[in-house]
Amino acid sequence: MAGQFQKHKLGAAGIGGMLGLSMCITLFFPSFDFRSGESTWVGLDKTLSNGRVIGFSYEDPLVRGEGKPTTVVLNKDPKTGEAIDPPIRAYVYDAKAPLSAGVRHPSNMGPTVGKLSIEKGKIDQANDSDPVVFTIEATDVDGEEWHYVNNATVNNGWTAEAVLNTAGAESQYLIGRGKTVYITEGCWWCHTLLPEHTQDWQVFGTPPFLGDFNGEMPTAFGSDRKAPDLLHVAARNSSKEWMTMHFFNPRLVQPNSIMPRFDYLWGKTDANGKAIDFSKWRAEYNDYVSGKTVHPPEVPEYAPESEARALIDWVLMSLR
Amino acid sequence: MLLKLLFAKEEDIPPGSATIFFGYSAIFWFVVGTGLGSFNAAKLAFPDFVTGTEMFAFGHMRQVHVLAVILGWISMAFAMTMMYMTPALGNTKLWSEKLGLWNCFLWNIGLSLGLFLLWIGITSGREYSDLIWPIDLVVLVAVLLPLGINVWMTIAHRRTQGIYITNWFFGACTFMVMVTFVVGQAPELFNLTGLTEGYLTFWFAHNVLGLWITPVAAAIAYYTIPKLTGNPLYSHRIGHLHFWAIIAFYSTPASHHLLSAPLPEWLKSFASVEGVLILIPAVAFVANILLTMKGRWSMFVENIEIKFSVTGVLLAIPLNMQGGFQQTRAINWYVHGTGWIVAHAHLALLGMSTALEIAAVYFGLQQMLRRKLYSLALANFHYWFYIVGFCIYWISMTIAGLIQGAGKVYEVPYIDVVVAEHPYMIARWVGGTMVFTGNLVWLYNMWMTAREGTVLPKGRYSHELAYER
Amino acid sequence: MGWKFDKPLHEMASEEESTAMLRQWESEKHGGLWEGNNRLPLPFTYLIALIVLTAFMITMPIWGQRPNAEHYAPMVNEMDSAAVQNLATDEEKMKYLTAFAMKELATASDPRGPGLLERHPITWDDLQNIAPGIREAQTSQKYPLAFYNIVGDKIALANFEGNRTVNGDFFGEPTNAPARVQPWFDKGMIIDLFYVSYFFIVLILITKRLPSFTRKPDMSKTS
Repeated sequence: MAGQFQKHKLGAAGIGGMLGLSMCITLFFPSFDFRSGESTWVGLDKTLSNGRVIGFSYEDPLVRGEGKPTTVVLNKDPKTGEAIDPPIRAYVYDAKAPLSAGVRHPSNMGPTVGKLSIEKGKIDQANDSDPVVFTIEATDVDGEEWHYVNNATVNNGWTAEAVLNTAGAESQYLIGRGKTVYITEGCWWCHTLLPEHTQDWQVFGTPPFLGDFNGEMPTAFGSDRKAPDLLHVAARNSSKEWMTMHFFNPRLVQPNSIMPRFDYLWGKTDANGKAIDFSKWRAEYNDYVSGKTVHPPEVPEYAPESEARALIDWVLMSLR
Repeated sequence: MLLKLLFAKEEDIPPGSATIFFGYSAIFWFVVGTGLGSFNAAKLAFPDFVTGTEMFAFGHMRQVHVLAVILGWISMAFAMTMMYMTPALGNTKLWSEKLGLWNCFLWNIGLSLGLFLLWIGITSGREYSDLIWPIDLVVLVAVLLPLGINVWMTIAHRRTQGIYITNWFFGACTFMVMVTFVVGQAPELFNLTGLTEGYLTFWFAHNVLGLWITPVAAAIAYYTIPKLTGNPLYSHRIGHLHFWAIIAFYSTPASHHLLSAPLPEWLKSFASVEGVLILIPAVAFVANILLTMKGRWSMFVENIEIKFSVTGVLLAIPLNMQGGFQQTRAINWYVHGTGWIVAHAHLALLGMSTALEIAAVYFGLQQMLRRKLYSLALANFHYWFYIVGFCIYWISMTIAGLIQGAGKVYEVPYIDVVVAEHPYMIARWVGGTMVFTGNLVWLYNMWMTAREGTVLPKGRYSHELAYER
Repeated sequence: MGWKFDKPLHEMASEEESTAMLRQWESEKHGGLWEGNNRLPLPFTYLIALIVLTAFMITMPIWGQRPNAEHYAPMVNEMDSAAVQNLATDEEKMKYLTAFAMKELATASDPRGPGLLERHPITWDDLQNIAPGIREAQTSQKYPLAFYNIVGDKIALANFEGNRTVNGDFFGEPTNAPARVQPWFDKGMIIDLFYVSYFFIVLILITKRLPSFTRKPDMSKTS
C-alpha cells in the first residue's frame, strides 16, 4: 500500500468529486432559479423580434441576417380594419423564418407565461414552414397582469401578407437582422447592453430586470466598455438623422469619438439606387477636416435593403 | 517536413518532433496575436487609421486577436510543454509522437479556419466563445481530446511510481478544460437562451482561465524552476494545497462577472467569496516557487529562462491581489467594465502566464533541437522589450480604467472620458507594439537556433553550456 | 490504508506506510527532479486564515447594495399624511420622509436600512412613481417586500432567492410561492461556509496522510 496517496486513481476520483461538487453548486442549483424566471414584455418582444438565433445558425450560415422575422407597428386591425390605439407590435414570420426560441420551447418564457401562451395564445399551432404572425397580449391572472405570446394567425385570423400590407413599408422594422449586424460588426466589443446596478442607471437607464432576456440568444452583454452603454440608447436619442450621420462617420456629429466609421454598411447604392462614391466622399471629408471646405459632404441616404437600415431599426426599436 | 512526419511510422519519428512543431507554431501565433493587438490598439488611439473597409474594422479584428492569443499562443505553448515535460517527468517517452504531430497539424488548420470565419464576421456572438459551433466541435475533437489522450496515456505509461505535481496539473487540466468547453458551448449546441446563455458564457470565460490558463502556467513553473536551478521543489505538501485549492476555488466564481445581471443573489455572493479565496492557491504557488529559488537568486539575473519564469511568478502576486478583490461588490462598482479590467486580463495572459510559457518554450526547444540558443543578446532584447512594453500597457490601461471609473461615478459625459483616455490609448499602443517587436526578435532568434545553434553534447542541458553570442 | 488518529494534525498514516512513502520518495527522480517535504511557513498559514476571514467579511451583503421596496415602504405609507403635504417644497418633503423612514428602519432586524437610504437619496417625483407598485406589493402580500428591486423610478420583481415549489415537490412545476427566504446576511454565505469547510477537511486529510514534515526524505540516496 506504499504511496497510496500518489496513485492516480485516487487522485482522479478526488478531482472528479471536487469539480463535481463545484459544478453542482454553480450549474445545477441555479438551473432551478433560471427555470422559474418569468418573461416580461421586454423579454417577449426580444424573443419574437430576434427570431430563433442571432449569430451562426442553420437558417443563416453566413450570418447575413437571413431567416429573421419582420416587426411591424400596427395601428389598425388587418382583418376588420378597426383602429388600434395605441398601436401595437406584430411579429411576422414568413415561411423561411424559423420560430423564435421562446415559441419553440414555451418553458423558456417561464412556467406561467409559457402556459398562457399555449392555452390562450395557441402558439403550439404555429410551425416553422408556414407564415405566421405573433402579437404580445396582456391578461389578468389572480389580479396580476401577465403578458403572453398570441398566435394572431390562429386567434385573430391575421395572415402574414395582410399584416405587412396594412402596416406599409414605413412601419416595418428589421429588428432581428439589425441585431445580427450588431453581432457581426462587433459593436459589443466596446458597447455594453448591461447598465450596472450601482451607478449607471442615472446615466444609462435601468439595468435589465429578471425576465428581460428569456429566449434571447446571444445576450451579448459585453464586458469591456470603451463607449456608452446602449441598452436604453433610443430613449436618450431617437433621432434617425443623428444615427445615420453617426454610423456613417461618427466624427461628423461627435468630433472626439473613437468609434470606427460604418459607412460600408450602406452597401453599393443609396436609397435612390444611385452608386455611392465612397472615395469621393472621403476625399471631400478630408478637405472638410483640413479646413479647405466649410461643410462636410452630405451623408447618402441608406437603401431599404442595406445593413445600415436594419441596424438603425434595431437601435431605435429595441433599445428603449 | 511536417507532412512527411505525419505519415511516417511511429518508431521513425524522432522524439521531440511534436514539441518542436508545437513550439514554433506557438511562437508564430504569438507574433500574429500580438501584431493584431498592436493593430487594434492603434485603431483605438487613432480611429481613422485604416478605415473604410469592413475587413480591417475594429469589430472584426478584436476577437481574432483574443482567440489567436488564447488558442494559438497560450494553449499551443501549453501543448508544447506537455509534449516534453510529461514524458520527462515520468522517465519515459511520449505515448505517441504521431498523435502529437497530427494534433499540432489539425490545431493549426482548425484555428486558422476559425479565425478566418471570425474575421469575416461569421461568429456566434458570445464573448470568448465566439467560434461557431462546428468549429467548437473541431476544437473539442481535434485539439483538446488528442492532447488530453496523449498526456493521460503518457502519465499512465510512466516509469515512476509517483506522479510529479506538474503532471497532476497537466492531467487534471486537460480534462477540466474539456468539461468547461463543453458546458460553455452548450448554449450553441442545445439552443439554450436568455440568462442561462449569458451565465454559461461567463462560466466558460472564467473557468477557461481558472482551470486551464492559470494552473497550467503554474504547473510549468513547477518544472522549469527546479530543473534549471537544480534545487528540489520546496514542498510536496504545499503543492497539494495549490492543486486542490485550484479545483475547489477557481472553478466557482463565474457569476462575479455578472454582478449587475439579475442572477440569483446567492450565486453572486457565493462567487464573490470564492473569488477572494483564489488567493489561497496563489499564496501556495508563489510561496512554493520562491522558496525553491533559495540560494539561486543570482540566476534571476544570469539565466534567461529563470528570468522569464521568476518574472511570471512575481506577476502572479499583483494578478491575484487584483483578481481576488476587484470582483467583490465593494470594489467592483468602481472598476467594472473599465480599462482596469483590460489591464488585469493582460496581466494574467500577457504577464503571468506568457512569461512562464516563454521560459518553457525557450528551454524545451533547446533540449529537443539539441542546440544551444543562438544569441543571448537577442534573448535579453526580447525580455526587456516584453517586460517594458507590458508594463507600459498595464500601467496605462490601469490609469485609463480609473479615469473611466471616476467618470462613471461622477456622471461625466462619456465623450469627456474618451478624450481623457486618449493619451493612455496611445501609451497602450506603444506598449503593445514593443511586445510585438520583441516577439519578432524571438522568432528570429529561435529560427537561427534551429539552424545555427551550437549542438548540445549528449547528456548535457542547454543551460550548462556557455553562450557564444 | 492504515490510519492512526493519536496525533491527527501531525500524521495520520501508519508508521510503516509513512516510512514506505519516504523510501519511495527517496528512490525515484522525476526526470531529474525531486521534491522536499517542507511545511508551509507559519506566516503563510496565518495569511491563509486571514484570506478566508477577509473573503467572508468583504463579501457580506453590506457593500454595493441598493435599497429595495422594504426600505421605501415607510416613506410611501407616510407620503400622503398631513405632516408631509403641508411642507412647501419637494426637497423639504423628502428630507422629512427620509428622516422618518430612517427612524422606522432603525429598529428593523436588517440594520442596513438607514445607511442605504442615506447613500441612495430619491426624489419626490421618483417616489411618486414607485409608490403604486409598492402599495400593490403590500396589499397582494405575494412576496416579501424585499424581493422588489427599485432602480430610479422603476420597481420590479427581480429576485431569485428560494426556489419555487409545488406542495414541497422540488422537481414539480414551479408556482409563485418561494420555498425558502434567506436572512439578509446570508446571500449564499451558508453554502459557502459548507463548501470551504469541506475543502479544508479534505485538504487536512490529504496532507496529514503524507509523512510528517519533520521527516525529510534523504536525497543523497537518490540514484
